[in-house]
Amino acid sequence: MDSKVGRVSLGLVVVAAAVVLFVVLRGDDGKSPYEQMEEERLEKTAPRNDGADDGSRAEGRPSPAVPTIVVRAGKPVGGVRELDFDAGGTVRFAVRSNTVDELHIHGYDVERQLPAGRTVRVEFPASIEGIFEAELHGSGEQIAELRINP
Amino acid sequence: MTLLPFAHALVAREDLPIPAWLFAWGASIVLIASFFALSVAWREPRFEGDRWRALGAGVSRALLGAPLQALCGAVGVFLLGVTVYAGLEGTTAPDRNFAITFVFVTAWLGFPVLSVLLGDVFRPFNPWRAIGRVVGGAFAAIAGEQPRHLPYPERLGRWPAAVGLVAFVWLEIVYGPSGGIAVALAPDDAAVAVLAYTAYTLTMMALFGVERWCERGEIFSVYFGMFASLGAFAARDGRLGARKLLSAGGGWAVLPASAAVVIASLGTTVFDGAQEGGLEGPMESAGEWLVDLGLGEVTATRIADTVFILLCVAAIWAVYEIGVRGMASVRGAPSLSRLRTAFAHTLIPIALAYLVAHYFSLFVFQEQAQFTYLLSDPLGTGSDLFGTASGGIDYRVLSANAIWYVQVGALVIGHVVGLVLAHDRATALWGDYRQAARSQYWMLAVMVAFTCLGLYLLSVANS
Repeated sequence: MDSKVGRVSLGLVVVAAAVVLFVVLRGDDGKSPYEQMEEERLEKTAPRNDGADDGSRAEGRPSPAVPTIVVRAGKPVGGVRELDFDAGGTVRFAVRSNTVDELHIHGYDVERQLPAGRTVRVEFPASIEGIFEAELHGSGEQIAELRINP
Repeated sequence: MTLLPFAHALVAREDLPIPAWLFAWGASIVLIASFFALSVAWREPRFEGDRWRALGAGVSRALLGAPLQALCGAVGVFLLGVTVYAGLEGTTAPDRNFAITFVFVTAWLGFPVLSVLLGDVFRPFNPWRAIGRVVGGAFAAIAGEQPRHLPYPERLGRWPAAVGLVAFVWLEIVYGPSGGIAVALAPDDAAVAVLAYTAYTLTMMALFGVERWCERGEIFSVYFGMFASLGAFAARDGRLGARKLLSAGGGWAVLPASAAVVIASLGTTVFDGAQEGGLEGPMESAGEWLVDLGLGEVTATRIADTVFILLCVAAIWAVYEIGVRGMASVRGAPSLSRLRTAFAHTLIPIALAYLVAHYFSLFVFQEQAQFTYLLSDPLGTGSDLFGTASGGIDYRVLSANAIWYVQVGALVIGHVVGLVLAHDRATALWGDYRQAARSQYWMLAVMVAFTCLGLYLLSVANS
């Protein structure tokens, strides 16, 4: 590290390392090519801000305009749903429970009564960024994870 | 059917994982900074002497004088009492009870930052030290002689604090009934733990002496004092003074097992980050496997989490040990045990960076609760002592972007400061500059590993 040549070549290595690293990590955005294609397809079929539903991607079919979480005996069918929304837009989804319960969304402190067998639409402005749990007060189960992205 | 403006909860909101592009930039900057540090490195140590200089005598008299010290001690003891009382008599909901937020957020996360900025501010407020000093003083007044103590086994060093640190975080995140969810500890359990710790600490102070125990065994004194060693302000022989920033960490770490304290701090923070992301699956599988063996669900989760928290600490220790052994292989190296101690303080900035990265948003949000409804209604029983009981947390004060930048910024700064301290220490230990530089490839690898692990944890948390 004493010679000038040494320092210059070191500098070049650094720049090359930074560029390679950036390209590699930036390139795939943390998603597989399949996921990216699927996301592009979803974006074409469903307008953004309408609750583009990431959770349904795993099921391999396009999401409905308003994702509906079906709750049976206090538990979400198909596991905890992950719902993505953009900050500044509207959080919009629906819940149908076969038993009477109460929905609570942490952070926003939104509460909704869920009568048995009825579909309840939940809508509120997505004003806080972050990850929030939606849980049932009756059964104590988490049914969804809301991600409000900037 | 109402949309309340404020929320009440310890962890009602979690941070979004940092996006891939920010992860890449963070990692790139870390690498560039590291190589840059290698190429411009200085050859003489610059942080070895702390060059402490006393501030004005008036300042020392005012801040270190008996009246203010007594007042601070009284405040500390009062807050300890409020914590225990709220825990035992207040609501069982952790988010509505003063005890949980005060211990695990306000004090636990607030003092490290305050200590770096202002010096060892926990010392005057330490309730156990205050009680110990009053009892010791009373004993001396009655018996006419200073209380006698057992000699502290010096080889034990700071082991009691290191073990205690892991135990404290274990209580915070593992013991809580819902295991794995941040601070799910029941307030009355917390109060009982505080009482047990008080009994233990006062016993140890009686046996070994108040100051000696504070410097070696008392978890909070050691932990907050560790961060204070990075800062510019320190009291010495009853006088307040200023010293060169970052210059006192090496001196702090000379006691045996100081490295264990830093590693415990890093390992437990890594566990807290990983249990929400990378380790969530394995921890659940381990828990289910134990349930299949016939254990209760709570017990199984606790055992699994305990194993994983110890694994995290062990993993951090292993990486540091590799670095130390690597350095030992460089010609002219001091002994292994000397190296282990000599570089312990270089991990303190990284420990602080981890702390900021993982708890910054929690702290900002939860302190709003601390100074509104938890202040006016500490028991959660509907009182309104100061008229702030109806206040709450406004989550809009921090955007996701602001949180991300603070997180990545903290890790990068911690990394650079750690590198600076390690390089400086190497130039002091190796007479030959070339060998010193060679030894630092090892520490560079250690630091890059820790920082990239930190970035990785932020990018997979909750995903």
